[in-house]
Amino acid sequence: MAAGSLVEVRGLRKRYGYYAALDGIDLDIREGEVFGYVGPNGAGKTTTLKVMAGLIGKFEGAVAIAGVQVTRDRSETHALIGYLPQSAGFQSWRTVESALRSLGALSRVPASVVEQRMDELLERFQLGQARGRKIRQLSGGMTRKLGLIQALLHRPRLLILDEPLEGLDPASRALLKEVIRERQRDGATVLFSSHILGDVQDVADRVGVLCDGKMVTTGSIRELVAEVDLPLEIGVEFSTPPGQTAFLSEGPALAGATQVGRGVWSVRLREGTGPAAADDAIHALVEQTLHHGGRLRRIAAAEPNLDQLFARLIERARAAGRPS
Amino acid sequence: MTRGRETPGSPALMLLRDELLGFASSRVMLVLWAVLPALTILGYFVLPESLAGATGRGPLSATAFMALIMSSVAGTVAALLVGVDIVSERNRNVYDLLLIRPLRREHILWAKFGAVTISVSVACIVSLSVGLALDALLGAPVAGAIGDALRALASMVGVIALSAAVGVFFGMVTRSILVAVILILYIGQNLAFVPMLPGLLGILPDRFWLTMSITAALVGVIMWLAGVLFRRSEP
Repeated sequence: MAAGSLVEVRGLRKRYGYYAALDGIDLDIREGEVFGYVGPNGAGKTTTLKVMAGLIGKFEGAVAIAGVQVTRDRSETHALIGYLPQSAGFQSWRTVESALRSLGALSRVPASVVEQRMDELLERFQLGQARGRKIRQLSGGMTRKLGLIQALLHRPRLLILDEPLEGLDPASRALLKEVIRERQRDGATVLFSSHILGDVQDVADRVGVLCDGKMVTTGSIRELVAEVDLPLEIGVEFSTPPGQTAFLSEGPALAGATQVGRGVWSVRLREGTGPAAADDAIHALVEQTLHHGGRLRRIAAAEPNLDQLFARLIERARAAGRPS
Repeated sequence: MTRGRETPGSPALMLLRDELLGFASSRVMLVLWAVLPALTILGYFVLPESLAGATGRGPLSATAFMALIMSSVAGTVAALLVGVDIVSERNRNVYDLLLIRPLRREHILWAKFGAVTISVSVACIVSLSVGLALDALLGAPVAGAIGDALRALASMVGVIALSAAVGVFFGMVTRSILVAVILILYIGQNLAFVPMLPGLLGILPDRFWLTMSITAALVGVIMWLAGVLFRRSEP
């Protein structure tokens, strides 16, 4: 096992007939890190997570959690894992409390600990009022939260969350991100999937990008941004608009400009423009604004657009996989 | 992971208790335990006099009538109840949350099987008890009927258990409720008569114990096959 790795995946392949859902995945997730697993729909994220959770037993390659192969000693790996499936189903006749008590007991958690954790987590996820309610009476978002609670109930060392932010309102999304950070502070490792890179950047230390069953790249968001030549943008806001705005797209490094609001423009830089050239372009734009009688309220290089970064990574991976 | 002295007992028993609670609180069980006996009593009183034998005038006592009605529906109800339940829970990914915990897939199937067999058997006990009480009230001879009722009950439990096992098996075969229902009605119900064949053909003298033994063996084989299917299936 690689030093410091809690999860180690080597040459993971999973086929459904002729279709390769996973095609040779190698992945290391370090103990104590939050790892975002990103990819378009159908990339193989859920299949990978199900293999790790021990729900899929037939695959090629090796998957070890804390040094234990998931196929070898499942009872040991089950004890380490908290898992939220993409669509967590509960027996609809149960109440919220009875579902959690039963799942807690099946996880071999003592009853008093289940009661204490249940109270704590139900309050935390604002489900305290619904504890006696039948599951069939819960909304989709509430059922999703209940799924998260069952995954957290036994304080697992590895938390595997499949699309955990799907179906949650903005407040619940923020809460979940906070809970993920808390679990990390408590020493847990968190692996969660999403098809939106922006969702991942707030909490993930590192990201793995998956496409068509293959791992495209892994690294921090900063490393991914450096890896891909993203067109930079400069945000410009005038307090007094200049006499003309043609200069916004007329510099050597400038590729065009779009007005996005009253007195607000987004200036695109040419591909391959480095940070130094971007600084020169900002300097030139300030001079031109003053020259044309305008005044600036704000001018700054915009943060990299993560959706664009994601699209570029996927595009690059698909182009590399295509026969020439 | 938190562990301690209050660690719960066997997962199979925990699941069985949970499943019993689930089936016992379902509307189907309410119908089986209360509505069906009530309707059967009503049916008994509207029987033609040549058939109704509560007062010794005809061939059917209330107990026998109750046993007849229950034996005709109990097996089918048990098979459909468990088969449809399994298909529906598999389609809603209910088992994912169980299978990520330290228990075996077979535990889930045996818990379902046990819960349905017990619940439907209780419905039979209720019906037969109502029949015996009715016979006693109407002045029919009850002493001999008790032995017959117990024997009928044992046979019924066998049929219920075999039907429940068939329901579990077909619940694992398909993910379509309609297909499961068709398979249970057309194939499953015929299988439930297999243990009676040697008796009907007169192969051995003690037909009751032979039937019960064949039933137990068939239940074991069918549940084992269902377990194999479950282990091979991937969520």
